[in-house]
Order: sequence, then C-alpha cells, then structure tokens
Amino acid sequence: VTQDHERIDELLAGYVLLALSGQDAEEADRLLTEHVPACARCRQTLADLQALSGDLALAAPPIAPPETLLPGLHRSIDEVPLEGRSARRGVLVALAASAVAVVALGGLSLVLGTRLSDAETQTGTALEILSVMRSPGADPVSLDPQGQTPAWSGMVEISAPESRRLYVASDECPEPTSGKAYQLWLGSEGEFVAVGEMFRPRDGVVLLELEVDPSRYDEILITEERVGDAPAEPSTDGPSWWATL
Amino acid sequence: MREDDRQDLEAHRRLSNGDRSAFDELYRRYGGPAYGIALRVTAQELIAQEVVQEAFLALWRAPEAFDPGRGAFRSFFLSLVHHRAVDAVRREERLRHRTERASNLEMSVGEDPAEDVVHDAYLNVRRKEVGEALATLPPEQRRVLDLAYFEGKTQAVIAEELGIPIGTVKTRTLAAMRKLRAALGPEETG
Repeated sequence: VTQDHERIDELLAGYVLLALSGQDAEEADRLLTEHVPACARCRQTLADLQALSGDLALAAPPIAPPETLLPGLHRSIDEVPLEGRSARRGVLVALAASAVAVVALGGLSLVLGTRLSDAETQTGTALEILSVMRSPGADPVSLDPQGQTPAWSGMVEISAPESRRLYVASDECPEPTSGKAYQLWLGSEGEFVAVGEMFRPRDGVVLLELEVDPSRYDEILITEERVGDAPAEPSTDGPSWWATL
Repeated sequence: MREDDRQDLEAHRRLSNGDRSAFDELYRRYGGPAYGIALRVTAQELIAQEVVQEAFLALWRAPEAFDPGRGAFRSFFLSLVHHRAVDAVRREERLRHRTERASNLEMSVGEDPAEDVVHDAYLNVRRKEVGEALATLPPEQRRVLDLAYFEGKTQAVIAEELGIPIGTVKTRTLAAMRKLRAALGPEETG
C-alpha cells in the first residue's frame, strides 16, 4: 500500500502542476475518480499539494498590471448582470474533463466518471456540468455564433491541458432543421475533423461524451448537417458555433 | 485562520453578493501577484494581461467555485491564474506563436517588483517564506519544479530536455513538493 501511495503521490504532484501527459494523465484521471474520493490520505495530500501550488505563484515577483486592466474589468463586469451570474439558461457547453476543473472543484471528476453512462441521470448530469463549466477553474470560453444568427446564446466551451475527454452539453438546445442534426468538429491549424455521431437534443438537453484529446486541437465547431451525409467539411450555410480551445 | 485569510473570505462573501468594492479589494491585493505569475509563465505581456483579466472575470461570474472548506482563497485564486497561464502557454505552443520568450522574460520579470504594486504585508511574508523554502531545494529538484511550474512544461518534455528518465523527473518533483510542504506547513482550511 505504501508503495502504491508513493506512486499515487507522484501522480498527484504532477497533476497539480499540470505536468502530466499521456498514460500518466490517464492514470491520474482514474485515480481522481476512483481512489482519491474514497481515500482520506490522498484527499489530504491533494489538498496540501494544491495549496502549495497556489503559494508557489508568490515566488514570481508581483508586478503591477497595466492601469487599463481594472477599468476594462469594470466594463466587462457591467456586462454581466448579477442575476445573470450562474443562471442556468441557454448554454451549450463543451467540457473537457480536466485537471484544472478537478483542481478547482474537487469532486467533479467523480460526477463525470460515474454518472454519464446512466441515461436516467443525464439531465441532472448535464445541469451539473453546466454549473461546473461556469466555475473559474473550468476555464469557460464563449462559443461565438458564425454565419447566420443562431438560436442559442451564451454558449461556452471549457478546456484544459492534458485532457482526453470532451463533454458537450446543453440544457436549452433548439431542434435542428427537419432532416438535419448537429455535428461536432475539432480543428487544428484550420483543418477540421468530424468527431462523434451527429446528435439532436432531447427535450432541449444534449449530453455527449467524446474520447478525444482536446490538446491536439485549437478550435471547436458545431454545425448543422444533413442526416445520412458524412460531411468531409463543416457546412457553412446553417447555424454554427465556434470557439478556440 | 490567519486574519488575512479571514479578510479574503469576507471580501469573497461580499463579492458573491455582487459587491464591486469587494472585487476591487481582491484585485488590489492579488492583481500584482496574479500578473507576476502570469507574466513569469507566459513571458508575454498581452497574454499575461488576458490571463489575469480572465481569472478575475471568472471570479466575478462564478464566485461559488471557491469553496472555503478546501483552503485559503489565496491558494485557490493564484492556482487558477497559474493554470490559465499554463493553458495559455500550451495554446501558444500549439499555434507556434511563441517568440523571443527568453528575451521577454529577461525584460519583464528580471527586476524587482514595481513600486506601485500594493505591498500586502502577509503576502510579502508568505512570499519570503516560499522563496526561502525554494532555496533549500537541491538544484536538481528545483530545476524540474521550475520547468514544470514556471515554464508550463510536462514531465515528459522535462525528461527529454534534461536527458533523464521520466521516472526521475517524477521522483524529484514529488521530493521537491514534499520538502516545500514541510517547510511551509499544511494549509489551514476554513
């Protein structure tokens, strides 16, 4: 057991530094979903390492940000009404199960790891993911509408280094045009590949789990495509949403 | 709990209720450290500014992400900034837009803290403690920690750069973290 925990401690140390990759990152993800939540020793180790990771930032000399930064933040804050904070409406999310999210949010990985396969809890899980994705540690980035004005608004993508899963969720997804469905694309240096099956919302809810490594891509795109087609390139004549990863 | 941590908690509570003066208070306290670490990791002023801006905006938009039961606000927020900075560096690497990193680093962070940084007494004490703890690390441990934390490199990349097995990188990293944790003490939680 001691030897096992030595190995686990090594992974947790690399994990909080965001320094894992490949099989180590996969093993850490498994540990964080299967072992750490149930192991008081590892939970304490993880908490200690995370606290240490925060304090290490102090080793960099503090530097006053440009004077324009705070006024810019105030302007941005003015665009976020209080009642809009953490509101559960009208959001599409692509969430990569990530070190960042777990570091910031503790038990998130448990939620992701155990409940997504259960169809009966998909709606609840989607709402949890939507809640999580609005958290700072989950690194939300807005998906911008492309082309004609889409029906969705406030779409957000979440990604982080060293992730190998991508989740796409929405709690208010409009129905696609008759005969069409949505397709997720990931792009690298301008070249997009279709990822996963086409999907439609069920009662407005979408919840997808995709086995991909988001770090290999720099863009995410969702388009509306004709069912039965196997499009080689994203359609440009329908609603679409895009963000950089 | 330290008085400074209590003040952070109170500011966070007020911020959660939409108090902009609490936001400004946390910005005054953590803007300098946040920009410092963001610039140290990214070595590019514009990207570092984006990182800091995104982190503070994320705090405003979803303050509930900080759980006082899991440790100090300081650790939470600076971890958040560091993660975003590492993320930004790796994104830049993917896009191959990183240039003149070394020279920028020299210019940007090689000097003493700017005079107009708010000098927070406790943060300064903690900074000194962190610096002293880092100074006690054997050079080989310090090196792997620096490459991972301050340059955002993975252990696989570090192993390749240093020409050592990745297992050695892991061992040195853990040894360094344990030594720092022992020197700095366990985190107090609320």
